[in-house]
Amino acid sequence: MKERKQVYVPREQKRYMGTYRPKIDAKEKTLGKTQYLDDITLKGKLPGMLYAKILECPYPHARVLKMNTEKAEALPGVWAVLRCDDPEIRALGRTTHCWTDIAITPKDVDTVMRYWDREFLPDTGLWVGDHMGVAVAAETPEIAEEALKLVEIKWEILPAIYEMEESKRKDAVIVHPELNPNSNQLRHSEDGIVDDLYYNRGDVDKTMEEADFVLEIDKTYGGVTTHGCLEYRGCVIDWREDKMDVWTNHYMSDQTRMFLHDYTHVPLNKIRVRNGNSGAHMGKWNTGEDIFFMITAYLSKRAGRPVRYKMTNHEEFHETRNLNRYQVKAACTKDGRILGMDMICEGNTGAYIGACDHNVEFLVREVLDRDFAPIKNIRMHSYTWFTDRAPGGVVRGIGNVQLCWTFMALLDELAERTGIDVVEILKINCGNDVNWPGERNHSICKILDQGAELIGWEHRHKAGEGPLIDDCKKRGMGVAIWNQWHAELNELTRGFYEVSIRLNPDMSVIIQAPTSETGAGGNSAAVLACAENLDYLNIKPEDILWTPLGDTELGLRDNAPTDSVISFLYAEAMVEAAAKLKGEILRRVGEYMEKKTEELDIEDAYVYEIANPSNRVGVEWFMLHTDCVPIHIHHARHNVREQAGLPFGAWFVEVEVDIETGQVEVVDMVVVNDVGCVMHASGAESHQISGQAMGIGEVLFEQLHYDWETGTMLNNNYIDYKMMTMADFPKQITPVLVEEWKGLGRYGAAGMAEGAFTGTGAAIANAIYNAVGIRMDDQAITPIAVLNKLYGFQK
Amino acid sequence: MIKDGIQLKVNGRTYALKKDRDYEEADTLSKVLRERFGLTGVRVSCEQGACGACTVLIDGKSALSCMMLVTEADGCDILTIEGLDGSDPVVDAFVNTYGPGEGTAMQCGFCTPGFVMEAHSLLNENPNPTDEEITEALSGHICRCGCYHGIHKAVEKAANHICKCKEEAEAKEAANE
Repeated sequence: MKERKQVYVPREQKRYMGTYRPKIDAKEKTLGKTQYLDDITLKGKLPGMLYAKILECPYPHARVLKMNTEKAEALPGVWAVLRCDDPEIRALGRTTHCWTDIAITPKDVDTVMRYWDREFLPDTGLWVGDHMGVAVAAETPEIAEEALKLVEIKWEILPAIYEMEESKRKDAVIVHPELNPNSNQLRHSEDGIVDDLYYNRGDVDKTMEEADFVLEIDKTYGGVTTHGCLEYRGCVIDWREDKMDVWTNHYMSDQTRMFLHDYTHVPLNKIRVRNGNSGAHMGKWNTGEDIFFMITAYLSKRAGRPVRYKMTNHEEFHETRNLNRYQVKAACTKDGRILGMDMICEGNTGAYIGACDHNVEFLVREVLDRDFAPIKNIRMHSYTWFTDRAPGGVVRGIGNVQLCWTFMALLDELAERTGIDVVEILKINCGNDVNWPGERNHSICKILDQGAELIGWEHRHKAGEGPLIDDCKKRGMGVAIWNQWHAELNELTRGFYEVSIRLNPDMSVIIQAPTSETGAGGNSAAVLACAENLDYLNIKPEDILWTPLGDTELGLRDNAPTDSVISFLYAEAMVEAAAKLKGEILRRVGEYMEKKTEELDIEDAYVYEIANPSNRVGVEWFMLHTDCVPIHIHHARHNVREQAGLPFGAWFVEVEVDIETGQVEVVDMVVVNDVGCVMHASGAESHQISGQAMGIGEVLFEQLHYDWETGTMLNNNYIDYKMMTMADFPKQITPVLVEEWKGLGRYGAAGMAEGAFTGTGAAIANAIYNAVGIRMDDQAITPIAVLNKLYGFQK
Repeated sequence: MIKDGIQLKVNGRTYALKKDRDYEEADTLSKVLRERFGLTGVRVSCEQGACGACTVLIDGKSALSCMMLVTEADGCDILTIEGLDGSDPVVDAFVNTYGPGEGTAMQCGFCTPGFVMEAHSLLNENPNPTDEEITEALSGHICRCGCYHGIHKAVEKAANHICKCKEEAEAKEAANE
């Protein structure tokens, strides 16, 4: 194994930000002191707490014709039963399956998908596992389960469909007649779309005629993996009289409050939502939760007790990565340029919309602008279809993973056909016009050059021409690049975000920069940024307490950690909050010194007179010897509304393919991310390395299996659904942090945690091609799939 | 024969538990540790032995506390993460793995106590494990954040520290003799 260690060197040396140091909560996490939902809602802490269970539809498509709940209601220990024909539940109306983490409220039509495709406790189930029909609250989870078994239901079993081709048929059963009585196709997310032509720029037909050759690819990704969190989603709700207390591991307490308010009309000051840490939810928590929040709330209201609902291990599989298929025809030149692309983008969203249409419409257009601006002619038709599969959902890396899988295969094939190195092909065809107009994108060039050098790209052989190792293995290298997704402009819909700094008389500090700590590290970044900007007080990170919990009654509005962007957003807010604090200190000490604030400044925790620096007062002395009142600053900021482009990341992979067994192993990997400004080097590198557990896992290890006779998932548990462990993880992954691009604000950073593995699968597929000359078109690169491609085996 | 009580030694203290008052016959060890003792560092996730989050030490060896009945632990010496403190070499190594290229030994922290207890079990038996032995010992655990490099590094560091301390103690003893 090649020994290599790449030490990140910041563009601008700072005292704390961008340094290698422990996470601020490393010790409490290691010692098990960090509290998750189960810990803050132990039964002993909430006397009388009941447990909720919701019926899961046993059929892929079925309606309740008749239901008898008498036996369930009579079971000792059952406190409440909610039925699908309950007038109060039916009066709630419809909701969406997906309201994103940046939406203010589910009713906020500007930021939410425009489809009211879900009902609370409907009478019809649209996939095997759909929460529907009836829910109970009982004294133990076992009693609640037993009660559900006692419910007698007469079902009308309806035809079910699973594939897009079935969904498109004229005689297909309609999954959502309330949205479209004639077709399973979802209407487009924007108005004015004619003949499903979602996007059109330039003259595609002309470029097809002018091209030296046309490349065609057909790629599918999604539908076979899920998020696989260790801590499952849940809540405890205590709704008595006019007050609703909620505890949850949803990663935004304020958004949960808005949702509950929207539907229950309980005033916002009577709904208190508290959240905390959540176990590996990075990028999750956007879909489907509406249902259980409302059901739990109404069970609590009926029972007059706190009710807890928590998903089980198999319910963790209640959504999959969105299943998308992209067919692309590309007009190419011999010198490696793509002149135009004709695209058909399709999504099988399953039973409900989980942003699947976003992956074939808005996101594709955004990506074409961000990543492929040099390609001037593009035509894109988009379609999204409902079926009776588990719904697609917001899984870490949403949409970008599927698109990267497609476009990087296309560019790799272009390199193959032209004989030009794919690194050069990427430099020619990728990037945008925002940051370096008229030039190649500096960020792309930098990440590619650094990654290529580190992995030893110059030793890469032609496809399939490497030596045979151990009589049965061949090695190959592949690369993929992608934009880093989130910069300030992309986060505008968050609106204002709040932070506070409380300076105590002993010069210790308490900050609020509320975000659920999913592992993204927003808390560490906020503390480092606060210390950095309180250098005039000599405050160190160890002097700062970050208050960990979201609390809509006592705390500031919290923000979703999405893609670690909250790290740099709160850092930018800290710059301004620290300046405000300085102003307030000068005002108070100035009063004491009988000087105007403009006559004073602060250095080394002393306020001094600019004209006479020896006239000075220590801030600590002042606070301890006057009124001992902490100085508290609240600051709300919104993002700069300017286009500043985005930086890029590159994934270089070397694989070894066993041509006898079809087994693929990642033997080396270099991950290069230009993030503009690194907030916490250890945390950022941690994401670069560890994100590959999902990136590699998704293509080489994890795969959901279904019985299509019954529509049932067969391995929705952590024994049978194989996630990577230490034994499976590559021994060598080299993280490289780059600061080439600069965004807006003081630091000008972009997110990277969620997108840590955007290009991993694509790079692996390209490396397999380089090793053995086969193109993997579908996500699941199983040994069988590899052998099938190599030798034409039948599945 | 079903007993009407059991005795557990938990983190150094001995407790007599009465059936139906302190536990029920069907209770798992993890349930009693969490709900009766308030030891919430014992995480419960998959409840099928796949993730390792609920790992505790029983008589010095790792065990999945969600996969055994509390009655099976009768008379046993149980150590949970709460029985360790910041001076523990494994804890210290997990906290202080953050150098260039190492990543960190945790992100969300949910699985971390289970890994720490497993590392203890390994080092109790084999204070100087090879890379492969570390990997094999910890591969019954899932870290969905994927901090396997950082965790491996932390266990290496802890092992080195323990060996160094042992060597120093032996050298001191030899010098005294």
